[in-house]
Amino acid sequence: MNYARMKFYCDEERCIECNGCTVACAEAHELPVGISRRKVVTLNEGIFGKEFSTSVACMHCTDAPCEQVCPVDCFYIREDGIVLHDKEKCIGCGYCLYACPFGAPQFPRDGAFGTKGVMDKCTMCAGGPEETNSAKERELYGQNRIAEGKVPICAAMCSTKALIVGDEQEVSKIYRKRVASRGKGVQGAPYGWDKAYK
Amino acid sequence: MANTWGYGAMTNSLGDIQNAKAIIIFGANPAVNHPVGFGHFLKAKERNNAQIIVVDPRMTKTAAKADYFAQIRPGTDIPFMYGMLHIIFKNGWEDKNFINDRVYGVEDIKKEAKKWNPKKVADVTGVSEELLMQITRVYAKSTPGTLIWAMGLTQHSIGSSNTRMAPILQLCLGNMGVEGGGCNILRGHDNVQGATDMCCLSHTLPGYYGLKDGSWKYFAKSWGVDYEWLKGRFKSKKWMNAKGFTLAKWYSGVLAGRPGEDKIDNAGTNLKALFVMGNGITSIAQQAKVKEALDNLELIVLADPFVNEAAMLTDKKDDVFILPAATQFESSGSVTATNRSAQWRYKVVEPMYESKPDHEIMFELAKRLGFYEEYTKGMLIKENKKSFKFPEDATDEIARIIKTIGLTGWTSKRLKFHTDNWHLFDEVSLRGIGPVKGEYYGLPWPVWTETHSGSPILYDINRSVKEGGMGFRNRFGLEHDGVSLLAGKNSAPKDSANPDGYPEITADNIEEVLGIKLTASEKKRIGKNWKVDTSNIIAQKCMERGIAPYGNAKARAKVWTFPDQIPMHREPIHSPREDLVKKYPTYKDKPNHYRVDTKYASVQNKENWSKEFPINLITARLVNMSGAGLETRASKYLSALTPEMFCDINPNLAANHGIRNGDMMWIHSPEGTKIKVKAHYSYSVGEDRVFIPFHFAGFFQGEDRTGNYPEGTEPYAVGESANTVTNYGYDIITQLPETKGGLCRIEKA
Repeated sequence: MNYARMKFYCDEERCIECNGCTVACAEAHELPVGISRRKVVTLNEGIFGKEFSTSVACMHCTDAPCEQVCPVDCFYIREDGIVLHDKEKCIGCGYCLYACPFGAPQFPRDGAFGTKGVMDKCTMCAGGPEETNSAKERELYGQNRIAEGKVPICAAMCSTKALIVGDEQEVSKIYRKRVASRGKGVQGAPYGWDKAYK
Repeated sequence: MANTWGYGAMTNSLGDIQNAKAIIIFGANPAVNHPVGFGHFLKAKERNNAQIIVVDPRMTKTAAKADYFAQIRPGTDIPFMYGMLHIIFKNGWEDKNFINDRVYGVEDIKKEAKKWNPKKVADVTGVSEELLMQITRVYAKSTPGTLIWAMGLTQHSIGSSNTRMAPILQLCLGNMGVEGGGCNILRGHDNVQGATDMCCLSHTLPGYYGLKDGSWKYFAKSWGVDYEWLKGRFKSKKWMNAKGFTLAKWYSGVLAGRPGEDKIDNAGTNLKALFVMGNGITSIAQQAKVKEALDNLELIVLADPFVNEAAMLTDKKDDVFILPAATQFESSGSVTATNRSAQWRYKVVEPMYESKPDHEIMFELAKRLGFYEEYTKGMLIKENKKSFKFPEDATDEIARIIKTIGLTGWTSKRLKFHTDNWHLFDEVSLRGIGPVKGEYYGLPWPVWTETHSGSPILYDINRSVKEGGMGFRNRFGLEHDGVSLLAGKNSAPKDSANPDGYPEITADNIEEVLGIKLTASEKKRIGKNWKVDTSNIIAQKCMERGIAPYGNAKARAKVWTFPDQIPMHREPIHSPREDLVKKYPTYKDKPNHYRVDTKYASVQNKENWSKEFPINLITARLVNMSGAGLETRASKYLSALTPEMFCDINPNLAANHGIRNGDMMWIHSPEGTKIKVKAHYSYSVGEDRVFIPFHFAGFFQGEDRTGNYPEGTEPYAVGESANTVTNYGYDIITQLPETKGGLCRIEKA
């Protein structure tokens, strides 16, 4: 069996900037205030017909630029495509922040000069290099929901199911189904033959 | 709503919105206030090509997802809807059969609608003629259409006319009693529908039974207590039948007698004590008055999981008690959703530290006041028990007594079974499968008997009564002005023994209307009418014959007991359009309105308010906050999203006042009060209005009062309360405050 990569997708037709994803993420991983592993970006706020929102975090890139520029090689990419890093190797230089097109890497903001300390970012709720579900992993990287077979907390809490996460083929299947069902009427249960051939 | 067709509740369900072809939203912002429920709106748009139309003074997050958006001037929903009806009647788009068989008084509406041509509507509402026509065409042609509203429609001096106008629009289009149609009022908090059904209000007994002697006697009997004893609890019998104070105006009960304060009629005494259970006091209008009232009470008790802001707001130092109440996670019981469905909530953890669930606090109070036995007796009656189990026996007591909204089937056993098996129900139709086949999720009331299915869509005559069908309620008599108020021929619910309109069922007319004969024993046991028939014979017989116990009547567009028989436009008490105030003045002052002489015309006419206060003031909610914000501002992550109180202001308006984005600014109100907030540039508001959220507290008219919080309880986010500057003004029927239409003046701080 072929496993594809794990991916996020945010359906901006559905995202309503409720910030459920960002708060769920912060609560689940007990992040310091100011560290935004995930954020909701809204463009053209307040202008009818032009305003839209989308939720952004680490995109777990196939060819992750952060991994390439890191001088101490603290990044590693799992077999399923989740991009993680080792906080004990990280020196907090901030190269990854400059390389990342999405602003995913986060640095502690307390202290006089702001960006000091090791980097923190979205783990897709997959923890880090420490022993899975150990206290140390939880302390450094937050929950490891993937190891427990659970959907990452942001997508689980998304109020309108705009944010989808999982095996990239599954994600595209869900989105394809949404596009295909546009204007086809209400989906009652069960989904019958009458609908299948319409 | 209740005055139009019998019940004041959401008619369909959130899931059913997916069936709509058009969704028109007045004064509601579900994307912010009901984000999960809004998923159904988005699915309707996605799968059903539903056209979303938003009519709101602000370009809200909901409007951002809309196909059409009309930026209306606050308080002009009635002209907008008459404008729609003008176009509908002119083009003959109304549902003539529906109106003929099921609605009374539409002729008067037609006459009034004729006056509201698009040009006039555009002048009053600020919405262009073209947009009004476009919206009307889309909405009238895309049926079924559902109409959504929330506090943006109700919190006006004409709120009770607004909430009649919207049903009238739906009735004229035949959008009632159908899947994908209805008037869907979105409740603002968890279990608001349940609190309303139990009437945590001052003008009626639980289940909307009113305050007349008959109702008191019914409850005395059902609670197993002596009616004379109940009567003796009041100062005199008069007060037993008199409405109490409302949440909006309780402060007058304390302040009456002082210069400039509204007079009260309260058995010759002012209010001396206040007991608050889970109500954020800073979400109430007239904050300065509320503060003054708090300062002058003899006793304040605040029972809340978090420190109620009243403790911070008041200068009173003694006899202020804060009781730690348990949260919903530390207690259990049934909660009622916006669509009249109930769900059982199980306890997650035992109450922490010293906190106690609300009922224990009340039981302890009842013990000390000496009526614990009478207070809890109702729970023992059904099975003649020695002791009760809370909350199951309380739920069963409610099921035993409340007939008016058909709670007979809401036994704790059935509600738990639905919650435990919620995976067996369809999200759109609410229909169950397997062991719950033939039932709807959470048994949306009315659920007439212990085996009834529940009624997912009110007033749907395409289903039999057994499957949740019904006509409109016969609540306003049999005729008016010589015209029958019963429904027309062949407009009874499916499979009805009586195909036409019929009156509400009583012991006297049951044999005639249902075409049955009662046995001698049944005649002996049957109650006087369906509302007090604890024998359940009326409901049982009605189910067998396909008859709705509450009758099958016409909805009415005309309420002859109201000051405006049909909804009429009246300018807000504080209107930016002085010219229109002359044309559409507010009501005369109303004496003894929930015990308070409430001002209308005398305030509106006091001066030309718009001269000194030219800006419209709008208040509403934020997605990360709830109510007065006690619990949500105690969360650091939720607070981080909006750490400070702010004001959304159009950059053009701000620049003309020399206010930069992020500057502090003052908002002054006609009440003589002011707040200092941070300016936030936003095009979501026009140049004639500003928006402020109402979740903040901790500051009062520029003064930092956070030192008043008991140590360690100060929330992460603090700021001025919007309600310090909301204007005087109350609904003519319900006394809801006019927080969605007022005036202010702004200046750079």
